[in-house]
Amino acid sequence: MIIRDCMKRDVISIPPTITIRDAARVVVERHIGLLPIVDDQGRLIGVVRLNDLLTLELPDFVNFITDVDFVHDFGAVETTRPEPYLLEQQVSTLMQPAIEVEEDCGVVRAYALMLQHKLPDLPVVAKDGRLVGLASHVDIGAAILSNWQYPNSGQP
Amino acid sequence: MIGIVISTLLFLVSLGLIFSEKLNRTIVAFAGAVLMVGLGMLFGFYSEAQAIAAIDFNTLGLLLGMMILVALLEPTGVFQYLAVWAGQLSGGKPVRLLVLLGTVTTVLSMFLDNVTTVVLIAPVTILICEILGMSPLPYLMAEALLSDTGGVATLLGDPPNILIASAADFSFTDFLTHSLPIVLVAWLVALLLLRFLFRRELSKPPAHPDAILELEVSEILTDRVTARRVLIVLGAALLVFFFHAVLKISPAFIALSAAAAALLWVRPDPSTILKKIEWSVLVFFVALFVVVGGVQATGALERLVSVLNNFGNVAPVLFGVILIWLVAGISAVVDNVPVTIALIPIIQGLGASGMNIDSLWWALVFGAGFGGNGTIIGSTANIVVANLSERTRTPITSALWNKRGLPVMLATCLVASLLYVIAYPLFR
Repeated sequence: MIIRDCMKRDVISIPPTITIRDAARVVVERHIGLLPIVDDQGRLIGVVRLNDLLTLELPDFVNFITDVDFVHDFGAVETTRPEPYLLEQQVSTLMQPAIEVEEDCGVVRAYALMLQHKLPDLPVVAKDGRLVGLASHVDIGAAILSNWQYPNSGQP
Repeated sequence: MIGIVISTLLFLVSLGLIFSEKLNRTIVAFAGAVLMVGLGMLFGFYSEAQAIAAIDFNTLGLLLGMMILVALLEPTGVFQYLAVWAGQLSGGKPVRLLVLLGTVTTVLSMFLDNVTTVVLIAPVTILICEILGMSPLPYLMAEALLSDTGGVATLLGDPPNILIASAADFSFTDFLTHSLPIVLVAWLVALLLLRFLFRRELSKPPAHPDAILELEVSEILTDRVTARRVLIVLGAALLVFFFHAVLKISPAFIALSAAAAALLWVRPDPSTILKKIEWSVLVFFVALFVVVGGVQATGALERLVSVLNNFGNVAPVLFGVILIWLVAGISAVVDNVPVTIALIPIIQGLGASGMNIDSLWWALVFGAGFGGNGTIIGSTANIVVANLSERTRTPITSALWNKRGLPVMLATCLVASLLYVIAYPLFR
């Protein structure tokens, strides 16, 4: 099975020029974990993950202390918001290089990529780089597992 | 004569490259050492046997032993425990927090490496400040400054002290009677100065003083058994340090014995512990010993000493004070370890020419120790804290350091100079 058969074609994407605040609004309204960023031709140029946005609010110490279990009350951290000027910056400042696959990519390869890069969703592009779909790890995982439902699955 | 020129040139080039920080200092020193021995053999001014004899194994042994103890202690969480405990004791009051965290850092850095101390305490400091809703800047800077200051007090506190103690044959108790009293005064002055310099930041009460009490101290100490064992060994070692001169055993032997005892008692996977040893530091020391040994073997230092002796009519006490400020000035902009390693044979040479050098050793201790506070790159502890803060919302900048750190360096050097002059007969 290839990724085209299990991806969602109705993809939400954003241009690199919108503000971080607006990108956050898209996440809030659409409840998605990955925002593909496309240029004006619709080509994928990067992604912003929910985690990238949240680093603006997370306290610094989580980067230094690996086990925060002993911190039972985050105190002031819970009510500290990012500086307004940070939210007015372009979302491209938080952009990460995209890990994407082409439409004919096998689902097992796709799943392995997601696993290794810890991606919540995997953008799918056409040969010319245009964003054509998005597959969540549940989409891909379920597609793989669906092969198991037939009696002689696993046989060549 | 050709030996003098070659070795001096090689030494100065190596030192220049180390100070320029364009190349890793360990690589420079390592290549320099090999080159020094090679050229020495070629031109007949330095042999392999002389190079090996130039290595101060007492310094290396002491560093290695203490590094093993710290490597064993670090994963137990005992350092974080102390920092959180200090935070809770402060009740979230800024000035009290500064004093308590500063004291914990100082006391730890008196017995452990300054860098290790700040690496372990700074993250917890950031945590405490963030949940309280305060900027961690004053506390981080205070920790770097006070750990450097505290480290001057004991033989174990700072690598220059270990080097000087080994060269001058100063004992652990010599440091407690000569250095500790001056450091106590300098430390108090530094703390009061920090209180003044950061008065604006420290006047704001925290938004959430209660959050700090919700930290579960018992969950931080993840390995009580190991912590207890290593601390018992460390405590016993400190006790023996008091008597090492009487017992006629070297500090290195005590540290290595303690490390062996702790390893036997804790029985960790040695490969994980040995990975935590800062081998690059140890290799750097060895290499630098070999480089300086090459210069020494040619007799270049005797010539320098005879030049210095022409200034012999300067009053010895003035000479000491000049040395404090000169070394402090150099240590403020470059690493104080190479400075110390380079100056040791010169002072030894002055001693061989008949000068009373005990007071000069102490001047070197204070200069190298307090000087590092001067700039953001003056000591490794400063660099580590600055790098850490760069990954936070409130980075420590060079400009900020010049405004808040440099005054501390000047004040501590001033205190050291004044007390040095007043108590000069005791340093001879």
